[in-house]
Amino acid sequence: MSTQDNLDPIVLALVQNRLDHISRQMGWVMTRTARSPIFSQSHDFSCFIADPDGTLVSQADGIPIHTGGGGFAVRALLRDFAGDINDGDVFLLNDPYTAGGNHLPDWVIARPVFVGGELVAFACNRAHQADIGGGAAGTYNSEAREIFHEGIRLPVMKLIAGGETRQDIWRLVMINTRTAEALDGDLRAMIGSTKIGADRIAALVDELGMDQYRNYFEGILEHADRSFRRCVAAMPDGDYHGEEAIDNDCFEPIDDAIRVRLGVKGEALEVDFTGTAPQVKGFKNSSVANTWSAVYMALASYFDPDLPRNEGTFRTVAITAPEGTIINARPPAAMTMNTVFVAHEIVHAIWKTLNQALPERSCAGWAKAIHGTTSGRLGSGQEGEESPFVMYQWNSAPGGGAVEGRDGFNQIGHLIALGGLVLPNVETYEQLYPVLFKRQEFRTDAAGPGAYRGGTGADFEVEVKVDAEYAFRGEGLYNTSCFGASGGAAGQPGDMELTFAHGGRETPPKYAVRHFGPLAMCASSPGGGGWGDPKQRDPERVLRDIRDGVVSQQAGEEIYGVKLSGNGKSIDEAATAKLRAS
Amino acid sequence: MVMQIQPAAPWRIGVDVGGTFTDMVLRDQSGALWVFKAPSVPADPSQGVMSVLARAADQLSIALSDLLGNCALFFHGSTVATNTILEKKGAKVGLLTTTGFRDSLEVRRGIRENMWDHRAPFPDVLVPRYLRQPVSGRLDKDGIELAPLALRDVDTAMEIFADEGVEAIALALINSYGNPTHEDAIAEHLNGHPWLSLSSRIAPIMGEYERTSTAVVNAYIAPKVVGYLRDLDSHLRDNGLARPILLLQSNGGAVSVEQVSERPVNLVLSGPAAGVGALGLYSRAAGTDNLIAMEIGGTSCDVTLMGEGLVGVTDELIIDGYHLATPSVEIHTVGAGGGTIAHVDEAGLLHVGPQGAGAMPGPACYGQGGEQPTVTDAYMVLGRLRPGPYAGGSVILDDNLACLAIENKIAKPLGIPVEEAAAGIIRLLEQNLLHAVEHISIQRGHDPRRFTLVAAGGAGPMHGASVARSLGCSQAYVPRQAGAFCALGMLHTDIRQDYLQVHFDNLDTVDGGTLQQAFEPLAERAQAALAAEGFSGDKAMVQRELDLRYRGQLWSIRVALAADTFDPAAVRIAFDADHQRQYGHTQPGGTIEITALRVTARGLMDVSDPLPPAPSVKRSEPMALRQVYTDSSHGWQETPVFAGADLRPGFSQDGPMLVEELTTTVFVGPKDRLSVDAADNFMIEIGGAES
Repeated sequence: MSTQDNLDPIVLALVQNRLDHISRQMGWVMTRTARSPIFSQSHDFSCFIADPDGTLVSQADGIPIHTGGGGFAVRALLRDFAGDINDGDVFLLNDPYTAGGNHLPDWVIARPVFVGGELVAFACNRAHQADIGGGAAGTYNSEAREIFHEGIRLPVMKLIAGGETRQDIWRLVMINTRTAEALDGDLRAMIGSTKIGADRIAALVDELGMDQYRNYFEGILEHADRSFRRCVAAMPDGDYHGEEAIDNDCFEPIDDAIRVRLGVKGEALEVDFTGTAPQVKGFKNSSVANTWSAVYMALASYFDPDLPRNEGTFRTVAITAPEGTIINARPPAAMTMNTVFVAHEIVHAIWKTLNQALPERSCAGWAKAIHGTTSGRLGSGQEGEESPFVMYQWNSAPGGGAVEGRDGFNQIGHLIALGGLVLPNVETYEQLYPVLFKRQEFRTDAAGPGAYRGGTGADFEVEVKVDAEYAFRGEGLYNTSCFGASGGAAGQPGDMELTFAHGGRETPPKYAVRHFGPLAMCASSPGGGGWGDPKQRDPERVLRDIRDGVVSQQAGEEIYGVKLSGNGKSIDEAATAKLRAS
Repeated sequence: MVMQIQPAAPWRIGVDVGGTFTDMVLRDQSGALWVFKAPSVPADPSQGVMSVLARAADQLSIALSDLLGNCALFFHGSTVATNTILEKKGAKVGLLTTTGFRDSLEVRRGIRENMWDHRAPFPDVLVPRYLRQPVSGRLDKDGIELAPLALRDVDTAMEIFADEGVEAIALALINSYGNPTHEDAIAEHLNGHPWLSLSSRIAPIMGEYERTSTAVVNAYIAPKVVGYLRDLDSHLRDNGLARPILLLQSNGGAVSVEQVSERPVNLVLSGPAAGVGALGLYSRAAGTDNLIAMEIGGTSCDVTLMGEGLVGVTDELIIDGYHLATPSVEIHTVGAGGGTIAHVDEAGLLHVGPQGAGAMPGPACYGQGGEQPTVTDAYMVLGRLRPGPYAGGSVILDDNLACLAIENKIAKPLGIPVEEAAAGIIRLLEQNLLHAVEHISIQRGHDPRRFTLVAAGGAGPMHGASVARSLGCSQAYVPRQAGAFCALGMLHTDIRQDYLQVHFDNLDTVDGGTLQQAFEPLAERAQAALAAEGFSGDKAMVQRELDLRYRGQLWSIRVALAADTFDPAAVRIAFDADHQRQYGHTQPGGTIEITALRVTARGLMDVSDPLPPAPSVKRSEPMALRQVYTDSSHGWQETPVFAGADLRPGFSQDGPMLVEELTTTVFVGPKDRLSVDAADNFMIEIGGAES
């Protein structure tokens, strides 16, 4: 007997729509009001709504790797402040070990919503801050070995108590950042977005009535549950295994893996990480909230883009994440990188496993990013002002993986955002930062071959004109970082070289923090994985790739079995038939 | 409203080519209005234009040459630019870009519409890589030349283009927004090429992807669109039209064919943007300059907001996944219209839209084989539309088919009666409309309760009262010509051109003289454009604006400058006020950066408001009484149905009622009251706070 049987189905649809609309509305306010480019440009935040028990009921807005993890923060709040949650309070937290955070840079603002004196929901915003102190500017300390190297840890705290901002707390966080002006503006934007969300949620609950609203929230969760059960039921019962290699601990090579077993039984799904690599020295260990989000993301993106984004979807999923592993580390393991790497690895491991269970929906791997951050100080001498800058080298973004019916995206933001991170224009970067771009163009023969090929990746070159700090986190450098699916192959790995203005060259390690004078960074980002047998690729597409210069004539013949006629503008049908027959 | 009297010359004509119908509104010297409709001919839109003109001439019993000969101003909104993109029927384009950056068009900054749907491909790139050719030469961010332009690269590229049969060329070089000399030099070098699109002229914004994309789309559509418009213009003039036709641009203003030929990409929103003119008209009629228009057609709803008399214009427009940086009226479009499909998902939840049934098969009640229930089918089940001939007899509405579709696809799966299912479809649609209105108002910091909702389009008047109630508005305004909203709007449109120069400075320290100097070239171009259209003196308005932001922000706000003076303190106050409204906070004393200079040129058209008809003298009687399901608390009610033509200024009556007009049907709920105002439009007073 489900709750829904007693609900008005029309009202249920209206409530689902309204909650999603409210979480989007919070997102609009955030995008428009935040100070840091990361929010307006990269949308590195998510707005969500939880019920009074801390169960996520809507997260229509936001970056995929945040989806499904928000409930942990609200449940930590409920645990720490039981009996002391009041109208006009606003909470702040970030700690992944004690406060339901995913990693330290993502701060959560959670605002309890009251109607008639009763707690009815939480309006929340989780957003990546520009800087939170720690061992490197810009939140990513690639040499962190403990969480203490990564910035300020915040337990669940009341930032605003009964409508009064706690100035001591505000000052505490402001002196723990390199970019106080940005943090100040961004925190205000987060608080403002939850205010609008809370007002709208209160109006909705009021409309539904105190005796009914919980039933409708529950009805929404049950609908999500039923939706995902149908996805699970589409897979044949059985155990499926897959793994994604972990080849470094951010300091040295290691030989380990994320190992996953998917147990399918009817409509129930087990996701079991037993046997996964122990936690590592470097900062790519995952928290519970982040691992749950990565699992959600891997499943939802594989099956159905319209799956409801709330915790009901997970009711039929049982996750086993052994403590002390890279996907559920014990303190004080460092973990700032986890929303990208090891989340990318978790998604890959699950996709590889799903590719066995449901090959008709198989996905090839997306190549891993090679870029880090470049940070320094700007404008010295100008009106006595100097301002710090942190630049993400997004223009070296890698290639994505293919699926049946579409090639991989040639250059795309992280898999964990499903490409939802918008890449910057070089003109904008040249205005904002002391850089001059030389090149950002597709690579030749780097895409993973397939009937649908992977993304090409890009050749990238930039001159940095000032002394700067480099936080390298090039997981996609030097080794293969993606995989092919259904007969397709992996793309080429990435590469990077620095040429110093004062002489000398260096090939940077995957992870490190270094200081250099002016230099030129020259990189090739990795190509994505291909889908299907390359010999089955539509010859017209191969012709176009060769004419476009992203596949060489030689690769066209040897890998794709397509030979062009003398002028290079058409297919030599006879020779192609012969090549493909062999 | 079809009048018996003959129009008094001279008149104005507005023709709006829509997806299904071509609408024409004629406004005579006295301000009286005539509306005509003819089916559109997508393959050749000019046929729709000529047939609606022929129909008008026929109904008015005058010769086409007289209809056109007595036309002082002919406004035209055309989908030809949009359709060229949607149907991928543009020219073969070659693109010249800075060496090292020829792929930005295809990378498209990685922007995807729905990130969760990662199996969806990007839209096809409009210029294949082998036709994106590099040119050496580099400018820095301040426009200083780092490497000279290599015209020999242009020659090499032109050989390739010639060999490949390229018809139109787009130029987009890195940092050309700050210094167009390299693009200008190439243009000069290619002197005489008929179809050249320079990014620095068409969209001089910072950001190579959007600027390149705009130049490419312009090149892609130019040969077809400009050719079409020139042909139409000369055809109409051969038939008696004295003055060249005026085209509606995305910025809501009109322009001549001559001037738009360099940048036809500005016509992408040609039809919908004419709503701006209609809002101006209704603003005077309704006595408020805070209006939100909700124009609902068969497949979508366009929402436009006028706040304190101004409709926002941005540089961001997306058409079929292609990004354009052209001045465009802020219109928020959602998939919610009469043909929107309702369905119950596999887990048992009802959804309405965004998919629509299109013209074929259309709603189930059209009897053209459609089995998916639509919003129009819900109207039928609830008695809000009359069975039988519809839309001039082009379809026959069958209420049994409507009932069957909703019964089978919605009512049975949800286990509810068919009228509740139909009423539920309407409620969900109206919630989507509400969200669309909230999107454009709340996102910009406006409180929608301070606005009057204008319900337009063929389907808008069915929902105006209900959406207004949910928004907390006290009234909804329904134009009598709701179904010809854009054609009517065109007749009340000014000439408009926008000019932009990226310019970085500090508001507090910038020298007023320097700023004046930087504005000068833009103002000169604006004046010249107005003069060429025949506007001067106080009919030629040139408005200066600054794009401003607090340091560190990426979004800018436009602030208008007072004529001929520059007072940074006053500008700061205006900026802070707008920032407070839009974003809910300010940074007292924060550094304010100038990011761009803008000049808007307006050629003011003379316009008087339409002459109000005489108030009705006798009591208006309904044509019929019909059983209508009004809402869940009232259920089925016997509801009077009025012919719109019988209702004249001074009429007023409580709902429920239906009013059948030539281009729309107005639904008035049981708690609402409809009256006809002095301007001969409908005003619905919203009663009760029922959702």
